[in-house]
Amino acid sequence: MGRDLVTLVLTVVELLRQLMERQALRRIDEGDLTDDQTDEIGTTLMMLDQRMGELCEQHGVRLEDLNLDLGPLGSLLPRD
Amino acid sequence: MTHEAVPWDGPGGLSGPIGVPLVDLLDRVLATGVVVSGDLVIAIADVPLVRVSLHALLSSVNERVPAPWADSGPL
Repeated sequence: MGRDLVTLVLTVVELLRQLMERQALRRIDEGDLTDDQTDEIGTTLMMLDQRMGELCEQHGVRLEDLNLDLGPLGSLLPRD
Repeated sequence: MTHEAVPWDGPGGLSGPIGVPLVDLLDRVLATGVVVSGDLVIAIADVPLVRVSLHALLSSVNERVPAPWADSGPL
């Protein structure tokens, strides 16, 4: 049971991470951020992505497992 | 079993799974901005216990919807 719970939690975290990544891109497109703010956001997102990979390895969860298949609605996350 | 993406404007109707991941839909909803307002009462055996009254604006920060604090405000 624990593994499913871990997968669910990691799925929610991954969903929020990708959502925030897209929001950050939109905010950068606004163009009202200073250069170092943009750098900081980029670095933070990269570290977040890296940390997510470590978490998945640590719990033995594949990234594809996080992507829920919502049937007729398609998938939760992009199937890149 | 992988579904191939169904194009939005295919000739046939929208039969297969929609070709857009949900996270992109959420991103667009946030970009447009959405207001969620409503009242919620959590009850057990018809006994109201908890009342939640929501007036939430969910939106990306842009010139139309500025952040209330200076950029380095709390979370």
